[in-house]
Amino acid sequence: MRRLRSHWIGAAASAADLPAIGTAEAPLRSVRRMAPPVARTHELWAGVHLSEFDPVQGLQALAVRAQRFTPRVSLAPPDGLLLEVAGSLHLFAGVAGLRRELAEECLRLRVRPLLAFAPTPLAALTAARAGEPLVITELAQLVGQLAPLPLSALRWPEETCVRLARVGVRTIGAALRLPRAGFARRFGVAQLAMLDALTGRSRDLRATFHVPVRFRRRRELDCELSDQGQLLAELASLITALGAFLTARQCGVAELECRLVHRHVPATRCVLTLAAPCADEQQLTALFRERLNALQLPAPVRACELRADQLLPQRPPGRCLWQPGEHGGEAGEEGGGLIDRLRARLGPEAVHGLSLRQEHRPEGAWTTTPPPPLPARRGAQGHTADAPSEAAAPRRPLWLLPVPQRLAVRNGLPRRRGLLRLMSDPERIETGWWDGGEVSRDYYIAIDPHGVRLWVFRERAAPHGWFLHGVFG
Amino acid sequence: MVVGDPKIARLLEHPAIWRGRSAAQRSGLPTGFATLDEYLPDSGWPRTGLIEILVSRFGSGELTLLVPALAALTRAAAARWCVWVAPPLVPFAPALVSCGVVLDRVAVVGGALSDRQDARVGDRGLWALEQALGSGACDAVLGWVRQVKPRDIRRLQLAAERGRSLGVLFRPRRVSREASAAVLRLSVEPLTAGVRLTILKGRSARRDALNLSWRGS
Repeated sequence: MRRLRSHWIGAAASAADLPAIGTAEAPLRSVRRMAPPVARTHELWAGVHLSEFDPVQGLQALAVRAQRFTPRVSLAPPDGLLLEVAGSLHLFAGVAGLRRELAEECLRLRVRPLLAFAPTPLAALTAARAGEPLVITELAQLVGQLAPLPLSALRWPEETCVRLARVGVRTIGAALRLPRAGFARRFGVAQLAMLDALTGRSRDLRATFHVPVRFRRRRELDCELSDQGQLLAELASLITALGAFLTARQCGVAELECRLVHRHVPATRCVLTLAAPCADEQQLTALFRERLNALQLPAPVRACELRADQLLPQRPPGRCLWQPGEHGGEAGEEGGGLIDRLRARLGPEAVHGLSLRQEHRPEGAWTTTPPPPLPARRGAQGHTADAPSEAAAPRRPLWLLPVPQRLAVRNGLPRRRGLLRLMSDPERIETGWWDGGEVSRDYYIAIDPHGVRLWVFRERAAPHGWFLHGVFG
Repeated sequence: MVVGDPKIARLLEHPAIWRGRSAAQRSGLPTGFATLDEYLPDSGWPRTGLIEILVSRFGSGELTLLVPALAALTRAAAARWCVWVAPPLVPFAPALVSCGVVLDRVAVVGGALSDRQDARVGDRGLWALEQALGSGACDAVLGWVRQVKPRDIRRLQLAAERGRSLGVLFRPRRVSREASAAVLRLSVEPLTAGVRLTILKGRSARRDALNLSWRGS
């Protein structure tokens, strides 16, 4: 009988003494001899289930707040949170006090939590998901308390639950009573492993959530300032602190916000978006100088605050022996610096790259992209492999007008600073009914009286207007 | 130095002797047109410094003249950026690609995307040009900037030397009488299938014009 029992999943319990396993001495002892539960160190997990709660961001916000209860917080996405609270119970006057505080913390984020406490993380989470506010402090009571919970709380695949229900297994207790080997064969090893983690038979390791590091520092000014130069001098100490902070963590910032606080007016926000992560004080100072010079301050500034919410890992850049532009010299960080400087003064959208689009209409055949970073090191061959195939492609002008410009017409021929001479056979570009931009045009290469080669088209539909669409340059 | 002396000539063949003059004799950037390479002072575009290209009308063939060299620059192993500052129209990406330009290396500042942007960039185009030229991150910087004073050109020329880049300034023909610090000044007029080039200023004494045909490249 004993040997048989050890083959059961929830071997701690026999069918008869399931409801009150904590008092059933004999089966427990037999279990310890055959397969002792691993989770013997004293742990107590609080499982938080957040119903009617979707975003992962909110879960992280709660995880950050939960740091005041314990450093061991794990996320159980999409809607669960686990806290290991054994060490902090005495700080909150026991489980009841902790439960109250934790619930209040959740309510502050406008979510209604379901809480349960158990010695294994999965058990705590399962009980919370089942809506049972269980408090199980002893491992011995675990199986008995979990037994009446529905299997659906384990979130197994629908198909597995249906098959289990067909053999009459609807609760966790019933599943634990099944033979191990048969269960693994018929319902999957993963599910068996989950049951083992649930009862503490195998160790359930959870990744600890780490609070993202951010930089925020505020400086109250001695007197109110409205001069940009003086402001920059005051900001310099904050930027120096940021540089030291970033260097110590081998991180860089890609977005930096500076808030200039006024007395009566809402604070002025000044956001610096960088092309590449940067930790260099001098570069940041130079960028802030450009940005501040372009800024119109509505009122004198009484305090400034520097915020970097997202830190990105940054390797110290490798230096090349050659100057950029010399043979073998490459431009690495200079490129990012140039883009940042241009953006700081001209605005974030002033600098862009170009790329192709698969599109037959000329106006849709190109698109702007963010300027690509300069590669640190490329293959020795570069792009020599893909030679241009000029023969295949039809001739296209180097310049395109953003919007086709209507040309004057005399005797059916287009005019621009005089009569245009058509130099080529027509090239027909048409259709586009799928996105509403239907065109039907005959394109010609034309030369105006000054010798400038133009790309013009004639609409095929009445009234057959002539348009200028490009310049060959 | 007596170059013709055979003793000295033999002495100079010694590999340990380094002559400043040979290093100073830089080869230019191939233009992609054989006749133009012969015509230009450094047998090609200068690799460093400012060029002015003067045209009477926008679109006289000045960009077609330059695109093969740009393509070669962007395709090089350690290519830096090729920056277009305040182009008057949209650089048409498919045409650039079919000419062999690698678009990864092309960045456009300002441009004709919207009037608002154009007006703002127009004032600061010179500043952007100088930044790009002096940064060391660009192989070539093309600028279409109005109202350039001789003093600005001097600044741009110094920036180009600092950043070891080639700057190209497209300007109207009427400024050909103004003084300029650019290393090379060219005047370009359109022909039916090519351009007529005249060197206004350069390190060679050639003053004759060159008729360059696109097909003869």
